[in-house]
Amino acid sequence: MSRYIFLFDMDSTVTRQEILPTISKKLGMFERMSSLTESTMRGEIPFKQSFLQRVELLKDIPVDEVSRLIEKIELNELLVDFIQRYQNRCYIVTGNLDVWIDRLVKKIGMESNIFCSKALVQENYIQDVFSIVDKNAVISQMVLPFVAVGDGNNDAEMIEAADIGIGYGGVRDIAPAVLSCASHAVYQEKRLVEFLERLV
Amino acid sequence: MAVSRTVIISCAGMGNRLGLGTTKALVEVDGKPLIVRHLEMLQEEKDIRVVVGYQAQKVIDVVRKYRDDVMFVFNHRFRDTGSGASVALAARYAEEFILSLDGDLLVHPADMGKILGCSHEFVSGGTPGTDEPWLLQTYQESGKEYVSAFSKEKGSYEWNGITQMKSEKMTGGTGHVFQLIEPYLPVPFLEIRTREIDTINDYERAITWVKNGFC
Repeated sequence: MSRYIFLFDMDSTVTRQEILPTISKKLGMFERMSSLTESTMRGEIPFKQSFLQRVELLKDIPVDEVSRLIEKIELNELLVDFIQRYQNRCYIVTGNLDVWIDRLVKKIGMESNIFCSKALVQENYIQDVFSIVDKNAVISQMVLPFVAVGDGNNDAEMIEAADIGIGYGGVRDIAPAVLSCASHAVYQEKRLVEFLERLV
Repeated sequence: MAVSRTVIISCAGMGNRLGLGTTKALVEVDGKPLIVRHLEMLQEEKDIRVVVGYQAQKVIDVVRKYRDDVMFVFNHRFRDTGSGASVALAARYAEEFILSLDGDLLVHPADMGKILGCSHEFVSGGTPGTDEPWLLQTYQESGKEYVSAFSKEKGSYEWNGITQMKSEKMTGGTGHVFQLIEPYLPVPFLEIRTREIDTINDYERAITWVKNGFC
């Protein structure tokens, strides 16, 4: 057995749909959300600024309503199965907010294995975002060698630092910044999981 | 019994000598890119890894139009390393055997069947045909032919870059593929008809070869 720790981006890697654009479609604000998400994925807007703008778009929606919508997001089931089987070695690293993804994370069973952004909530509404995950800071804590899987511009640093850094393009195009530093790129979930099994 | 095998196709290089401004694996021969010609003959293979570097996104796009379950391995140092480095990168966490092919090669379709039917290690070559070949020195033993050395000076066959070796042997190189193999010689020889495309003359010969039904 290897000593690898496995780090996964959540959006479009663990999930089969892009979380914020998908729920914003249901809330009637798809175009603005989608445009911000796309620019962020391509690295045209820093993640922190973009994420705060996206939170602003959704802040008038009750937190539990957003959380329930996110709970219904489609998942890459084969990958989720891998994560559940090797739960003690897998972590989700996502910029999304703890209070929005709590139900989804619980459904996967990863409550103890997540690095995410955090918000203060008052009477079921976001009061303030008080921390935004820095994926670079997460990987700087790693002592053991790790495998990282993701697709977006903000995954590039963890993918570059990984022993095996995998760009996953099964849901959307892999960001150029990821392609320029990844050791591998895979576009089919089954193939990704087969390769991950070899790394266990 | 099926061979436990990872197929590695090296497509990272720039192909400057050809002068077409594209990485050689994307060069079309009779309307079809070389990499697609390989993939068509490898339909039954499950673990295919294409090593990309120069024009990586273009290679990925062309491969994905044909087949979506290929794994891409990046050789980001394609400018200052050889195909041995590409193979070593892709050989990590592979099946028992590595079958290594260059992306700029045309293989006779009938001979690809011979390659895929082979369940042991081999080094492959054919009739010398390029200007500066690496040659294979061979010897016969018990009715079988073995490769004993790679040479610039003498040898009966031209090394064509195709080899099948145990995967644990194909690690840690930065130069040519044959340099990964050299420590393990002798290795059984397999004669395979190919055309390599390094120069514009090679390219024209390859087109004629394909149009004439590989004769």
